Amino acid sequence: MISELKYVLDQVTGRSLGERYFTAFPDDTFLVSYPRSGNTWTRFLIGNLVQPNESITFLNIEKVIPDTSALSMRYLEHVPRPRILKSHEYFDPRYKKVIYIVRDPRDVVLSHYNWQRKYRVIEDQYPLEPYVSRFIAGNVDTGWGSWAEHVLSWLATRHNSADFLLLRYEAMLAEPLRELEKVANLLGISATSEALATAVARSSADNMRKMEKTQDGEWVTTKGRRKDIPFVGKAKHGGWQSLLSERSVEEMESAWGPLMKTLGYELTRVSSPALQAPFIDLGNWRPRLNHSNL
Amino acid sequence: MSLVHRLAFGVKHMLELDIAAHNLVTYPDDTFIVSYPQSGTDWSTPLIANLLQPERSLKPRDLERLIPAVNGHTRGFFKAMPRPRVIADQGTFNPQYTNVIYIVRDPRDVVVSTYNVACGSTRTGRPFPILDFVNGFVRESRSTVGTWGDNVTSWLATRGNTPRFLLLRYEDLFFETVRELGKVARFLGIHVSSHRLADAVNWSSSGDPKTAQEKHKRKNGPRVSPAAPGLWRSKLPEAAVTEIELAWAPLMAKLGYNLSIPQVVESGAVDAAF
Repeated sequence: MISELKYVLDQVTGRSLGERYFTAFPDDTFLVSYPRSGNTWTRFLIGNLVQPNESITFLNIEKVIPDTSALSMRYLEHVPRPRILKSHEYFDPRYKKVIYIVRDPRDVVLSHYNWQRKYRVIEDQYPLEPYVSRFIAGNVDTGWGSWAEHVLSWLATRHNSADFLLLRYEAMLAEPLRELEKVANLLGISATSEALATAVARSSADNMRKMEKTQDGEWVTTKGRRKDIPFVGKAKHGGWQSLLSERSVEEMESAWGPLMKTLGYELTRVSSPALQAPFIDLGNWRPRLNHSNL
Repeated sequence: MSLVHRLAFGVKHMLELDIAAHNLVTYPDDTFIVSYPQSGTDWSTPLIANLLQPERSLKPRDLERLIPAVNGHTRGFFKAMPRPRVIADQGTFNPQYTNVIYIVRDPRDVVVSTYNVACGSTRTGRPFPILDFVNGFVRESRSTVGTWGDNVTSWLATRGNTPRFLLLRYEDLFFETVRELGKVARFLGIHVSSHRLADAVNWSSSGDPKTAQEKHKRKNGPRVSPAAPGLWRSKLPEAAVTEIELAWAPLMAKLGYNLSIPQVVESGAVDAAF
């Protein structure tokens, strides 16, 4: 009853969260990813690129690249256009220009696990293997579907669009300047190499960690959440190799092997059983992703 | 939205009288019948509803009770609906939907049907220029349903390989109604004899559709007869067909819709994306 009342009050006062129901405009650009795929870091990178006069912090990020699932419809409506908006939504036909970040799901699940501990969605001692099973089934209480559903919903619908840019988190870690330049091109920004380098330096993981320590109490996403588990993760890839059990890796690769391979994520299994091909072929992303830098 | 509208919404929400739409609370045993608008569901939904209510013939109000549209009823209505529920929707992929029957129809016929509805709804009664209309149909994504390609792709890519997803083609439903309806019955876990299946489709598949429709109208209220597949051949100019096929050739080919324009096939559009 109390939650219903709050919902109604939020509706009446325009404080309901944007989520899938805010007004989208044709000149919007959306920064989309499944949660824990490097979206916040990318927000900082892009924010520091489009607003070079003031460093991006957790205190001003929502003004520069607002979060559609953390801010109200009313707030989003008043953001100056053209807007760059952050979203974790699965395919939404209203999004015309999309930067989509994908990350190895074997790493995503670990970051997701810590994130849900931080938000007390799961207990600290929740065993990892069953969590991985739930993650694969898309049953981790987010409402955004499974990792594969999320990725497939965007890639399959938008893979031929000139307004769709696919970024791999791992490639961003390896060559952030080059990947950020792709973003600049999509946004129509002619950025110098100095501007790109400044944006990357300002958005370093170390810098973000320092800011989180002093600003997390004021940032809409971390306000009131426990502090002993940081929001900013390790900013590395491949952690799953030592932290996930063989069984969990096997389970994930059995479920999503073809999609992972399409995205250039090597599978570990030497003698894998025949993997079922995606119902709709997603095309060959490897040349476009140019993953040789991994 | 004005303050008055927001207040009205608030009151409706408290009384669960607001339209369910995105606020629908889903259950794992729900089945959703999803299709892009104008994909023949006016005809196919009553067919499926016949399976759900075998004991007596279907009346229009039964349809609203048996397979209500998610955008057409209140939250209170859906809350009171007996489970397992069967619900109709037209939206793009929704991860909350566990069991989905997706009905796809040749986009060239979908656009003809959409065009007819649009022309019928104009105040002047004057038709739109067909080429402009087809251009908008292909390029303009509608807010919740997307384009035909968006809608179909979003479901097939995410659920096409999963056991709780049943893909039906309108054209197969039209020509092989009993067989296709049998698939629906199995998917819904309804044990039904072939005799009963034939009964369920009898009114739509035998004799002159107009006579059957009239007969049914007298007995059971208004009923829609299905449009024969392939109407686009006589209704769409070649330029419109080309535009649709160039936009969605690989997807159409995947779904078994033969492409008619040689330049689409020769251009390699079919191979380019798949």
